[in-house]
Amino acid sequence: MRAPGRKMTEQSKLRRLQDLISGYAPLPGIPDEFIGSDNIPRAHWMRFLDALTNLTPEDIENRFAAADRHIHDTGVSYRAHGEASEQAWPLSHVPLLIGEDEWRQIETGVEQRVRLLEHTLADIYGEGRLVKDGVLPAAAVTGSPDFLHALHGVKPPGGKFLQFYAVDLGRAPDGRWWVLGDRTQAPSGSGYALANRLVMSRAFPALYRDMNVERLAPFFQAFRSGLAAIATRSDPRICLLSPGPLSDTYFEQAYLARYLGFLLVEGGDLTMRDGQVHVRTIAGLKRADVLWRRIDSDFADPLELNASSRLGVPGLVEALRDGGVVVANALGSGVLETPALMSFMPSICKHVFGEALALPNIATWWCGQKRARAEVLEGFDGMAIAGAFGNSVLDLPPGQSIIGASLDAARKARLVEQITDRGIDFVGQEVVHLSTTPVWVDGRLTPRPFVLRVYAAATADGWKIMPGGFARISDQNDARAVSMGEGVQAADVWVLADKPVVVTTLLPTDDNIRIRRIMGNLPSRAADNLFWLGRYLERAEATLRLVRCLTGRLLNSDARSEAQDLAGLKGLLGASGAAPFKQALLMPPMRLTATALHSKDDFGSALSLVLDAQRAASFIRERLSLDTWLLIGSLQERLDVDVEAPLSESGAYEQADSALRVLAAISGLAQENMNRVAGWRFLEAGRRIERGINACRLARNFARAASPAEDLDILLDLVDSQISYRSRYLMGVALRPVQDIVLLDPYNPRSLAFQIERLKEHLESLPILNDDGMLEAPRRLMVKLAADVAVAEAGKLRTDMILGYEQTLMALADAIAVRYFLQGPHAVHADKMSGLA
Amino acid sequence: MIYDIRHLTTYEYASAVTFSHCALRLLPIDGPGQRLLQSRLAIDPVPAEMEERTCFFGNRVTSVTINTSHRELKIEARSSVEVNRTAPAAGRSLNSWEDTREAAFSNDNLSPNSPSHFLHPSRFVPRFRPATDYARQSFSPQRLVLQSAIELMNRIRDDFRYDPKSTVVSTPLSEAFEKRRGVCQDFAHIMIAGLRGLGLPAAYISGYLRTIPPKGKPRLEGADASHAWVSLWCGREMGWVGLDPTNAILIGDDHIILARGRDYSDISPVAGIILGSGEQEVDVKVDVIPRV
Repeated sequence: MRAPGRKMTEQSKLRRLQDLISGYAPLPGIPDEFIGSDNIPRAHWMRFLDALTNLTPEDIENRFAAADRHIHDTGVSYRAHGEASEQAWPLSHVPLLIGEDEWRQIETGVEQRVRLLEHTLADIYGEGRLVKDGVLPAAAVTGSPDFLHALHGVKPPGGKFLQFYAVDLGRAPDGRWWVLGDRTQAPSGSGYALANRLVMSRAFPALYRDMNVERLAPFFQAFRSGLAAIATRSDPRICLLSPGPLSDTYFEQAYLARYLGFLLVEGGDLTMRDGQVHVRTIAGLKRADVLWRRIDSDFADPLELNASSRLGVPGLVEALRDGGVVVANALGSGVLETPALMSFMPSICKHVFGEALALPNIATWWCGQKRARAEVLEGFDGMAIAGAFGNSVLDLPPGQSIIGASLDAARKARLVEQITDRGIDFVGQEVVHLSTTPVWVDGRLTPRPFVLRVYAAATADGWKIMPGGFARISDQNDARAVSMGEGVQAADVWVLADKPVVVTTLLPTDDNIRIRRIMGNLPSRAADNLFWLGRYLERAEATLRLVRCLTGRLLNSDARSEAQDLAGLKGLLGASGAAPFKQALLMPPMRLTATALHSKDDFGSALSLVLDAQRAASFIRERLSLDTWLLIGSLQERLDVDVEAPLSESGAYEQADSALRVLAAISGLAQENMNRVAGWRFLEAGRRIERGINACRLARNFARAASPAEDLDILLDLVDSQISYRSRYLMGVALRPVQDIVLLDPYNPRSLAFQIERLKEHLESLPILNDDGMLEAPRRLMVKLAADVAVAEAGKLRTDMILGYEQTLMALADAIAVRYFLQGPHAVHADKMSGLA
Repeated sequence: MIYDIRHLTTYEYASAVTFSHCALRLLPIDGPGQRLLQSRLAIDPVPAEMEERTCFFGNRVTSVTINTSHRELKIEARSSVEVNRTAPAAGRSLNSWEDTREAAFSNDNLSPNSPSHFLHPSRFVPRFRPATDYARQSFSPQRLVLQSAIELMNRIRDDFRYDPKSTVVSTPLSEAFEKRRGVCQDFAHIMIAGLRGLGLPAAYISGYLRTIPPKGKPRLEGADASHAWVSLWCGREMGWVGLDPTNAILIGDDHIILARGRDYSDISPVAGIILGSGEQEVDVKVDVIPRV
């Protein structure tokens, strides 16, 4: 019997494959990855498409959607330069495929180039032979803003300047690969390459396995061992030095730190003492052996480099001079990235290695040399003119080039004058059009220009090249450069082995895993932000409870209660900064409510406090679960509405109520999902301190000797203790039992006493610096407060005693800050320096 | 001529400073036409650590760490320098400014004296076209380099007004240029910007200038000042020549060199970080006393 259904599938598969191939038209004169220069589809692409068309079109679309969902769920994101909000990662669903033979050529070329760059860098900061020998003009070096005089003569520990290198490649018109640019400062993208790989291999597991794609993990493993090997201690602390959450690629930095097991730090976490660099942690200063930096060199030390930098470590250069720390890549390595250097790479390679560049770079003429300048001015129209050191040409943004022929007469004359005056500032380059690779657009393959970034890491056995990479794909057909931004996609890069590949992952085998339950010491800055996150969330909760209580009462109001109890609630909203203090009592209740919920101008409004919480959270995102981060975001979105918009009593009640439910979910996550390590304790301590302060403040206002029953009732509402109270006391509300349940009852999770018990536990489990047996300041305050509250009696509590507890809690918060969150140094600017004649 | 120099810097902090780490560039060196006889640095409170090194440009840098709590920091530098310069013969410069420029571009060494370090924009002297256009008026085609530079120096002296109240250390040179006023630092930066804009290597020199009190009046204690001027590379044979645009004179026996860099930021006398909060006041007193 024939199997008609199967036959049909085979036929439709063949037809789809045929469609994909015949509908694909490379751009004229531009090399393409899928269709070779002989007009024949490349074999490895056919293998891929053959396997892909085994899936039905619906299945393919489903898998693409799954990939996008995975990106969204894991929060892979980047920030387009200069923009405030992060964007989801735009992953092309078709990987860039490279066959093994071709990859070996790339590998050889990249390895040669990075060895050459290492040699050049060591020479520039050392002997200066290349300059003396006339291979490299001195002015082509000194023009780079990354040629740092302070680092001249400073030998890096281990003798290597570069540990991690990236190079951008494209396919030249003759079909060979060529170098478009070098990245030696702080190359980005390798973390995104990892993320791309994870997404693609999950979306297409069978395809990924059957295509024999080379794995990335061994490369990262080798890189990590290579860094560790330079440090002098056997179990070195390796830090990833980040510019912070506002940098374009913060996601990647946090991702790499987690993947490689490095401590993610910012300059403010570090301090230089006695020629070594230390991390400020809650357990004191802990040595940092290696800094893998993602900040530019110039910002790394405000003392000896850029004095206005807030990202660096004052004294870092001094520590480098003393050999007390490894910085990778060495400070000043960005000098190799300048276009000016490109023009000398071919001759440096001949001079140093006695051979030609295995991968040519774009032909470049540095106009500081008389002959090259003449050539550029002569061939002006057909050249791309660029800043020699990344500086701007005419009024273009730095780094962009301009094609001579595109200029009108006036601009051309101006540029020619500039080149004549200061040829050293310019290069001419041959005009490059990027080659293309297939992307998936509406169910079809389409050629799009791309740049392939390839990575190399220094290891104990020499340079290792990552088998894969990071491709950026433009949506402009005539692209000359691609950087992540509007319309640009990223793609995974698959290097296809001829044989099945050996699978390794960064996960060690079962027996050599060292069991550990605590990940090192918590950096002070993270502790600080966690503490404040807890405080802001709790303050937001207090404001929302006031609003809910107020609107709840308005909904069920009779004339009497409106006049009296509401004044207390309104006054508290004013006192807590949720509305202007002096006007709170006089504002119409719904105006006040809207302000307390949505105002951006009042620091105590629910929205302001949630924004503060979000900011604190953004500095420690890698320590929070994605759910927590998303919940805080949804809270902010919910509250960020026009403060002038009309608001009904029930609408406001509902808003406050639902926002409180989100807050409850956030604290639920902290209780159920966070490890009970120091970070959690700071988050909790922040919450407990605020909740304790709030309990005191509410009790002082609503549980005085003369407070009417309505006030006591409001108080029970505000501290969420109505049900506990009713179940314990059958008679109506009375001062003594209310005071007890709100302040002194250690079994009520909303009472002051409960907060104090928890705070005591938290403080007792934090590290101690004193070795003389004396109590540290926070604990000293804690012990006394706990004792005072434990022996206090309801009914005998005077307002001034409650105020005393409240003030002690505030003092405790300050003492915690002084003890655990060391203040950062301030750079001195001798701005007011007088006496210059 | 031998000079005894006292340079006293006093910081007063509004709240206690518990840790301070500074780099001081307050001690002169042997240099062209001058010899250092002696120098010493006195700091109060006494530093926990003090280390001297020579920076890339050859200046002496003292790195100081203080970890005792203090509200006042006094840094006193005393030095004695013998100065004996031969005036540069302007006539000896036979290079046109264009040839000088080409020679600077193709220079083949990276040593601290090489003109290559002083060709490019620096932190306090960015690319600034108006200064280049201003300078160009003195640099007609094929004119001798030093002759042109002297004219530029004289024009700055004539066109700009000395006004200590108009700028502070951080004032960008573009602002001083537009206001046509400033102090020695501004004039030096403006002249450097003009020279570099034309492709000529120019360095920033900090130091002191002997001041002569008005006739019949005594020399006032601490009334002298730090000074700054320009050094221009005039080609391989002639090398570096000092020009003082504040006073429209070439560098002579009244000038004492303290440090040399690309601009003020390379040689700021006191740079540092402190652990503390609150305001600070700085006071600087300088005495330059010629030995008789």
